[in-house]
Amino acid sequence: MNAAEELKNILPDAVTEIGKQGKKPQATVKKERLQEAAKKAQELGFDQLSVITGVDYGDRFEVIYNLFSYENKHNLVLKVILDHDKPEVDSLTTLWKGADWLERETYDLMGIKFTGHPDLTRILLPEGWNGHPLRKDYDMETEQFVTIGRDGDDVVSTDGSNLLRRK
Amino acid sequence: MEKGGFRVAPVTIDTTKIKHVRKTPETALEKLEDTGLISTVLAAREREGSILFSTIDQVINWARLSSLWPVTSGLACCAIEMMAVAMAHHDIARFGMEIFRASPRQADLMFVSGTVTKRMAPRVKQLYEMMPDPKWVISVGSCANTGGPYHESYSVLKGVDSIIPVDVYIPGCPPRPEAWLYGIIQLREKIKNEGYGATWGLDK
Repeated sequence: MNAAEELKNILPDAVTEIGKQGKKPQATVKKERLQEAAKKAQELGFDQLSVITGVDYGDRFEVIYNLFSYENKHNLVLKVILDHDKPEVDSLTTLWKGADWLERETYDLMGIKFTGHPDLTRILLPEGWNGHPLRKDYDMETEQFVTIGRDGDDVVSTDGSNLLRRK
Repeated sequence: MEKGGFRVAPVTIDTTKIKHVRKTPETALEKLEDTGLISTVLAAREREGSILFSTIDQVINWARLSSLWPVTSGLACCAIEMMAVAMAHHDIARFGMEIFRASPRQADLMFVSGTVTKRMAPRVKQLYEMMPDPKWVISVGSCANTGGPYHESYSVLKGVDSIIPVDVYIPGCPPRPEAWLYGIIQLREKIKNEGYGATWGLDK
């Protein structure tokens, strides 16, 4: 019995679907019960949250959590499906400290809100950037430029005349 | 070139009017003349090597191209090649360039070595503006030249020449150290032909 099946046995109504992602067992979890399922997974020995990714399918968002157990050398993939209009899911920072920056990255590039996150700000792009670039509906036509403001902070604008040599 | 630069006007010297009295270089001064970097004329043969005739352009250009000090700045993987260029195998100390200055105030050459992201662009421009004149820029690699594989990206500048003037472009992803050396030699050729006296109005 793999880890996804084990999780399904423990929480039969929270795990909606089990399968494989490559060679890794994968469990799709209801978004309301993600924290509960992640807590159970942690109790099963999955002590590391390797990476969080987000996918935009146009009609829905998916957030994928890759877990790893150092003791058993097992992998487990948790997946939640979110509304496209209001992508929100509970933060896992209370379970894994490392979720902090991973969730900030997912927020920065995909615009998924992690409720309960201690500091949900952009991590790669400067504050003030318009849009989330890995979304399918991101506006690629308007180019945005970064300049340094008076206080040393990044200032984002579509006007690059301070930066560019020729218009 | 832009403000503070020099007009690129090669100085031609009528070599038929120069009287060469010897065949093979023997003294240190004759050997210097023989390098071709300075076309000098030994005028006083009775006091060997004491008087040197040249043009201001040639002397200054020779001095400048012989000790280009690059600023220490690497943006991406091309910077790893920059380290290889500086190491013993390729050894840019041969060009007097081994001193990578940690401050732009002491440097006169900038290698833009790597991807210029939108967020890094104002910093690169600031570094360039902090360098004292005269200054030169070598754009290294596809990313700095045109944006390269990130040309359609939201976060990468489409060529560093959109924010600062570039003297030499080195293509490659990343360029091999041999390509760097070729680019450096091209920049030396360019500096050799710059007209310094013209900025003082001496060409009139």
